[in-house]
Amino acid sequence: MHQCTEIGFGSLGIVAIISVFIGAVSTIQTAYQLVSPLIPVSTIAQIVRDTVILEFAPTLVCIVLAGVAGSRIASELGNMRVSEQIDALEIMGINTKTYLILPKIAAALLMIPLLVVIAMVLGIWGGRLAGTAAGIIPANLFDKGLTSDFTPYNVFFALTKSYAFAFIISSIPAFFGYHVRGGALEIGRASTKAVVVSCVLILFADYILSALLL
Amino acid sequence: METGRCNLIIGASGSGKTVLMKCMVGLLRPDLGEVYYNGADFTNMDATQKTQIRKEIGMLFQGSALFDSLNVEQNIMFPLNMFTQDSFAEKLKRVNAVLERVNLEGVNKKFPAELSGGMKKRVALARAVVLNPKYLFCDEPNSGLDPQTSLVIDKLIRELTIEYNITTVINTHDMNSVMEIGDYILYMYQGKKEWEGTRKDIIFSKNQLLNDFIFASDFLKDAKDMRMLEETGKIPNERNMDELTRP
Repeated sequence: MHQCTEIGFGSLGIVAIISVFIGAVSTIQTAYQLVSPLIPVSTIAQIVRDTVILEFAPTLVCIVLAGVAGSRIASELGNMRVSEQIDALEIMGINTKTYLILPKIAAALLMIPLLVVIAMVLGIWGGRLAGTAAGIIPANLFDKGLTSDFTPYNVFFALTKSYAFAFIISSIPAFFGYHVRGGALEIGRASTKAVVVSCVLILFADYILSALLL
Repeated sequence: METGRCNLIIGASGSGKTVLMKCMVGLLRPDLGEVYYNGADFTNMDATQKTQIRKEIGMLFQGSALFDSLNVEQNIMFPLNMFTQDSFAEKLKRVNAVLERVNLEGVNKKFPAELSGGMKKRVALARAVVLNPKYLFCDEPNSGLDPQTSLVIDKLIRELTIEYNITTVINTHDMNSVMEIGDYILYMYQGKKEWEGTRKDIIFSKNQLLNDFIFASDFLKDAKDMRMLEETGKIPNERNMDELTRP
């Protein structure tokens, strides 16, 4: 529960802000590119919807979460290693990998897909808000575009990606944090390395899953 | 290492004291040799068997190793939660009893960050003994403490060793601790046992490496000077040895 609170509620604010602005910017930029009068304005909503669901919500949000949650996980475990708290747990006969790392992975698998769903909703809403506020697309047309040619498989794909990314975001930083050797400098290095490696693996997994599932 | 006594491992920094201790408690696997607990080969046990032995081990780390996210009460209750089926009330009673024993009543709800160095060590000691362990390992328990608090910690460790009849093993390079509570002393040099004996033997040792180590301390500088005078026959030795080795 504690881990769910840390990963879920702790990241909710930044996820919400990013999602709203990503949706808003997507609407404005899509409208900017759609100059042909032959293409209906409601297409903007379709493009924003699919872009947010397929890519921005799962991938971009998870890259941000790799920084927010991943660095926290690496730092926490690194600090526990350096201050011998992990050794103290080992002395008590506790399997520290199961006790410390597994709850983080489980919490990530539970909360990150939920955050991605929230990001999808807020991203689309942000696009609608920006479109209507800027006069790019009326609300009724946006709603019409949202519901036309909707492919539910896209949501399944996005959630599949979010589960894969959740595992990466929790396990990679946990590995780097758990195996820290040294002091504060090494904790910082481990945290940075964890975020970089997580981001690269997220992008790699994104490509692999897209190639396999789409 | 003998039961009911304070067994000290001394040596310069980097001599291998902490590595030896970590091998004893199973945090490190030795390259050669075995560790025996009451005749049982701990080194080659499987994880389940090691867990049974570890229930009987308490360890006081150099940095206390208190869990930051838990308060004092939760830290001390942690081993009880892991290894007993007692009710919360029984566990709390035990926690309060050990806190009283280490003279730290009333700090149950404080977090490690709110404690002084000496208080952290006492909480860590309380956590180490809450399960009435058979073996207590202390890795430089006086590290970072002032002389007065060091004395308090040393006396506490000694009292608990006698009271609970524990086999206590202490890593230290503090000669005050050696002369205060050392019943059996093992001197390490570059990863090997160089000398062993009691605190009385340590003053009269012929081992040059040991002498260079112990007489570097101001505390024993007088002892060294007196020893030189004894060896030259300028002063009788019996009276002086009693004064020097009296705890």
